[in-house]
Amino acid sequence: MAVAAPASLLGDLLALPRPGHWPDLRARAEAALEGRDLPTTREEAWKYTDLKPLREFAFRPSAAPAPGAPAMLPEAPGTRIAFLNGAFAPHLSNLSALPPGVRLLRLTQATEAAQGFGTLVAPGGDPFADLNTARFTEGALLVIPAGLRVETVLHVVFCNAGTAEAPALSLPRLHVVLEKGAQATLVEEHLGTGTYLSCPVAEVVLHEGARLHHERIQRESLEAFHLASLGARLEGHAAYALRTVHLGSRLGRLVPEITLAQSEAELELDGLALLDGSQLVDTHSRIAHAVPACRTRQLYKSIVDGESRSVFNGRIHVMPGAQQTDARQQARSLLLSERARVDAKPELEIYADDVKCAHGAAIGQLDPEELFYLQSRGMTPALARNLLTYAFAADVLATIPVPSLRRQLRKAVLERTHADGLEL
Amino acid sequence: MLSIRGLKARIGANEVLRGIDLEVNAGEVHAIMGPNGSGKSTLGKVLAGHPSYEVTEGEVLFDGKNLFELEADERARAGLFLGFQHPIEVPGVSNAQFLRLAYNKKAEADGRDELDPLEFDDFVRVKVADVKMDPAFLDRSLNEGFSGGEKKRNEILQMAVLEPRLAILDELDSGLDIDALRVLGEAVNRQMKPERALLLITHFPRLLETIHPTQVHVLSQGRIVKRGGKELAMELEERGYDWVKAEAAAAGRA
Repeated sequence: MAVAAPASLLGDLLALPRPGHWPDLRARAEAALEGRDLPTTREEAWKYTDLKPLREFAFRPSAAPAPGAPAMLPEAPGTRIAFLNGAFAPHLSNLSALPPGVRLLRLTQATEAAQGFGTLVAPGGDPFADLNTARFTEGALLVIPAGLRVETVLHVVFCNAGTAEAPALSLPRLHVVLEKGAQATLVEEHLGTGTYLSCPVAEVVLHEGARLHHERIQRESLEAFHLASLGARLEGHAAYALRTVHLGSRLGRLVPEITLAQSEAELELDGLALLDGSQLVDTHSRIAHAVPACRTRQLYKSIVDGESRSVFNGRIHVMPGAQQTDARQQARSLLLSERARVDAKPELEIYADDVKCAHGAAIGQLDPEELFYLQSRGMTPALARNLLTYAFAADVLATIPVPSLRRQLRKAVLERTHADGLEL
Repeated sequence: MLSIRGLKARIGANEVLRGIDLEVNAGEVHAIMGPNGSGKSTLGKVLAGHPSYEVTEGEVLFDGKNLFELEADERARAGLFLGFQHPIEVPGVSNAQFLRLAYNKKAEADGRDELDPLEFDDFVRVKVADVKMDPAFLDRSLNEGFSGGEKKRNEILQMAVLEPRLAILDELDSGLDIDALRVLGEAVNRQMKPERALLLITHFPRLLETIHPTQVHVLSQGRIVKRGGKELAMELEERGYDWVKAEAAAAGRA
């Protein structure tokens, strides 16, 4: 039996004791949340994402038992830090093989100041990010020193567990700093079992010439709520490749806010949402070109089946003076059911005149010519449909630089699309 | 093997095939030639089961079975193959995965053993060499970013893997340079067996210098207006299609 939820979920969670560390930052987040109730669909940013189902549960922090160890990545031996419902999970972590110079540790144990902490996802924006900032207790800090190129994959895992009777609250926190010229590959995973609300916040600072591959995998429980924010800032010649994959959660949301703050920075943002049943996944990306000569490539794909819904709102903001901006955004959706729904809204706001910008949104069904081609090779109509659905999704996974993760995700997509017989 | 009798077909309100008769026996190569818009490609698509075309009259028997009672995939598994003029790109599925899946669907239908990825790799490498393809293309997404010629080469590779009883090759020569055309033509010739047959759909007679037809049929406005041997193709090379059309028009008036 679900416990009757309080009138104000946010207010109630804010009544939890304020943890130590960053008192000023937390105070600002608390002030931003004061008197705030859950957003409603009357707010533009939440127009298509109804949070009413959240009110059925009284989420509480809990030290639930581990939901089983997440899959190891052979590319990340001894470079994994894991958290359970937001708390450090030593039994799931293995930091025995960190390359010299790499700092991957618990936020509360860091002796250095985390550069830019609390500024990339700043108080006063998304209320769930504010909730995280006000009440998170632990998190991961990754710092790569200047000039270091890290070959080993770094793996940050946020596991969550709760039940319908005791729905858990999880506030995962991640802070990443790549100093000048540093290079790394980071896998950030969110997964779990049962009923819970996870409100992760990640912040990424890329100094001049730094290059980061960031694979963000969301495979939360199908009873879970995942309301996430991610803020990043790119300095000159920095390159950020962020891929977000949504397979799980009953209701998922990600708000990436990325600023290209110095010239010649490059952003590649790929997204995939594979939805079925009554899932809803909402991606609200905010990309700001603040200076001249930066480049953005964004591709967001969603596949919606059953009664699921995909929401995409992608804004690219080219600020005054940001000449020679080269920005392209594509949102493509595949509708597999008459009851599924897609809301896609690309937005280009351009305040400079010498720019190359393009965007497009396409919502469609499978192409009859493609289906015929596969059928003419002996594949049944059902297999042809499944194969093309798989291919639509797998296209986004093809460039994942971590082979075992690429295989894992392809397999997950294969199972979801029933493209049987397609051996990987 | 293939009997086409009085075949009429349309797309939308447009009648594209207006009564085709054609007999293809095992071991034979038939060339369907004709000017653009004559209905050549439509014939191939109708035979392969393209859903956009509606058959309004006539019948087609393939090994004695009514072809139109079979769906496109059933026709393929029964041994009919259409080499596309414009093959489709499928990003996300590798060429090797696709070929093996197609092979195994056919093998399953024929009651032969399916091949696992390692066995298939051995099998396909011989075929890849036969069409002189760079093996790196096996790991690339199906046709994605392939040039026109590479796509055609890939079609012939698929034909080599599937070993169809009847192959219909639609404009194999488009997008190919002379050398590639000879390589693929020779690869097709090596595949010809007494129990197999070939239907070549082509605008230009050049292809027939490598693959020698048993019979040449000239299509104009949805009908076969002239038939002959290889020498008819040579005549078309010299004189173009206008005289055939004129002859047909004269015959129509008579």
